Amino acid sequence: MLYVSQVQNRQVWDAWGNPVGRCADVLIGAVDRNFPPVKALVLRGDADKNGDRYIPASCVSSLYPSITLNVPQDKCPSYTPSGDELRLIDRVLDRQIVDTEGRRVVRVNDLQLARVGDQYCLTGVDVGGRGLLRRLGLEGLGQALSRLLGRSWKTGVIPWEDVAPLHQEDPLRLRVSHDRIVQLPPADLAAILNDLDHHTGAALMETFSNETLADALEESPAEVQVAVLSHMEPERAADILEEMDPDEAADLLADLPEQTSEQLLSLMEDEEAAEVRSLLVYPEDSAGGIMTTEFAHAPIGLRAGELIDYLRHSEDAIDDEVMYYVYLVDEDHRLRGVISLRDLVMAPPDADLTPWIDLDPVTVTPYTPQEEVAYIVAKYDLLAVPVVDPETGKLLGIVTVDDAVDTVLPTAWKKRLPRFF
Amino acid sequence: MKQGQRIPTWLQRILFYVSILGPGLITASADNDAPGIATYSMAGSTYGYRFLWLIVVITVGELIVQEMAARMGAVTGKGTADLIRERFGVRVTAFAMFCLLLANLGTTIAQFAGVAAGTELLGVSRYITVPLAALLVGFLVLRGSYKHVEKVLLVLCLAALSYVITAFAVRPPWGEVLRQAVTPSFSGDTGYILAVLATIGTTITPWGIVYMQASVADKGVEMADYRYTRMDVMVGAAWGNVVSAFIVICTAATLFVHGISVETAEQAAMALAPLAGEAARYLFTTGLLGASLLAASVLPLSTAYAVCEAFGWERGLDQRSREAPFFYGLYVGIIVLSVLVVLIPGIPLFPIMLFSQSLNAILLPVLLVLVLRLVNNRRVMGEWVNRRWQNILAWTLTILISLVTVVLLLSPFLN
Repeated sequence: MLYVSQVQNRQVWDAWGNPVGRCADVLIGAVDRNFPPVKALVLRGDADKNGDRYIPASCVSSLYPSITLNVPQDKCPSYTPSGDELRLIDRVLDRQIVDTEGRRVVRVNDLQLARVGDQYCLTGVDVGGRGLLRRLGLEGLGQALSRLLGRSWKTGVIPWEDVAPLHQEDPLRLRVSHDRIVQLPPADLAAILNDLDHHTGAALMETFSNETLADALEESPAEVQVAVLSHMEPERAADILEEMDPDEAADLLADLPEQTSEQLLSLMEDEEAAEVRSLLVYPEDSAGGIMTTEFAHAPIGLRAGELIDYLRHSEDAIDDEVMYYVYLVDEDHRLRGVISLRDLVMAPPDADLTPWIDLDPVTVTPYTPQEEVAYIVAKYDLLAVPVVDPETGKLLGIVTVDDAVDTVLPTAWKKRLPRFF
Repeated sequence: MKQGQRIPTWLQRILFYVSILGPGLITASADNDAPGIATYSMAGSTYGYRFLWLIVVITVGELIVQEMAARMGAVTGKGTADLIRERFGVRVTAFAMFCLLLANLGTTIAQFAGVAAGTELLGVSRYITVPLAALLVGFLVLRGSYKHVEKVLLVLCLAALSYVITAFAVRPPWGEVLRQAVTPSFSGDTGYILAVLATIGTTITPWGIVYMQASVADKGVEMADYRYTRMDVMVGAAWGNVVSAFIVICTAATLFVHGISVETAEQAAMALAPLAGEAARYLFTTGLLGASLLAASVLPLSTAYAVCEAFGWERGLDQRSREAPFFYGLYVGIIVLSVLVVLIPGIPLFPIMLFSQSLNAILLPVLLVLVLRLVNNRRVMGEWVNRRWQNILAWTLTILISLVTVVLLLSPFLN
């Protein structure tokens, strides 16, 4: 295997064996391909200091053990960069990239090249200890040690197709990375954003859709949410808040200065804003603070088929992200019973649902403390618990199990360095 | 909106300053950690007011160095180790991280030596208190309950203020003090040079640079708001060094005049006797303990973080130990090694603190040269590269420290 570190700063010889200069960088093209081809070598000539010299890949006969050209120096044409090449040593080596398979931020210790047909291609990124030792000139020592210990020594090479390089100053290339990164689960996205430095993280977030960013933010700790939103155009921040679950959006707004949160609320769509406002009334660590107002509900008295049909056309049901239960209410929106989605689906279409409905469900009030909600959810083995106004009996929202146990098992990422002093 | 208009602008400005205040004041106050107090006490009691001019020079040096670190953090949003790795590759990074590790290990040892010295002054054996302190620090940091204790420790650090009060109480010859503050004096004697290096190394530290840059980058300070951060750095450095100067004045006026050259905590605590009398040792121990525990909590963690950042290893307290073996290994390793060194029977505590700080100064130029090259690189810093006068001062400082180190190495042959 050939590595960029074995090419870096090496002397380049022409077909007659004359030194041409030292290899300062390697340009690759078609970055979005799985095996991007080497387009040119960049030479920093010994003599002329007035600029780099570009040798096209077609003139290179081999890169290792020594870099030789297949033409004499003066017959070698100059390569004109088209602008979409990537400089491997300058822009990728030693930088942080996202490993989309391992879903984490890693540092590039070396880059693996391979000869495919008649051209050299970039195949992988070495992020392992072996690459580090190679750069230190200690690879042989490491190999001897591992042989001594009787263990095989794995390389930490990740295929190029599984990585996403990050260049905040390079929007074009960032888009390629973005396509690979956005498919990660929101929790991993949040962790990656947290690992990146401030500017790179911001540049990456610029490329995200509002929905992706909203999902990632829901998984981020409060300080990160606040930092991200307050560095953003208010209009976009409002759009992102609309995309978030109302309970998460309300928590976030509660953490912002009142002036800012008022401004954002006024920029949000009326309906979404009203929903969030209604949640802001309750303390953050009460059932009202963690409940969601988007859940499946229907009038009581429908038959199984009618109920399913009703849900298909109900906006609240469509917004319900999990729908473990369907809540049955009367005309005044008072909770009358609960049916699990399982029972509803299993019942014959024209059956009267009464035998399956729990007519006296366990409920909490909006002021029930979060710990108490978690306790109730665990005690009754519930996936969600309805929140009911103690005076009017109206159904206000539901708390799902994941939000309820957040106090017991915090999922939010801690700050990378605890802020000392 | 309405609320915003009611608050007058000057008040808004003050509130904004307070909200952004932080790393500068902290790193500078950390100058007066256990090895700091030990170094200044030994310098003041052995050489009188002769060290004051050095503190003036060091203050300027610290201002310049910390400002560069803060500026790099604000412009790049990255840590020092991160930038070194991206610009200089693996070999230089490995060397720089080795130096950082060595310097910070020495300083962590000195912090635990401070715990030992402070508690032994009260008659409790270090074999009890030092392991206990290590467990406490590890527990607090890993369990995340550090935030609450931090404020208590910071208040304990205020005990260093008693030096300022004592200095005024004992009425030193202020004319002489001022004269010495502006008159450079030097001596080729090994002990003197070691003390000079320790004084430099306890004020301008490798970890101070790394910590400053990391916290500014972490806060997400933008260049538009940078002047507030710069003010924080300036005020912090000035304040920390005022206290340092008063420790020197105080020990010179109380101990040096009686020919007592500090070698133990017992003697160092006597400097506070004019103020506190019999209670001096308690006051001294309070300050020493607060500062030591504070620094011992931060140092191993920020070191492990920087090294892992440089080599791309998993890091941070949000990782579980199995996922981040290097990070936790380094963290625990630094603490355990430090404790073991301090527990070596009969090891002299004050000289350890002094030597560790001299080592800091000797290793500092490595980091300074790298920082200077980074901060002058337009591709890293854009328009925010160093001005010419900043470069002149910073390079002068770097060369001076290196020269003093050379003199130290040669001094056995000179005498």
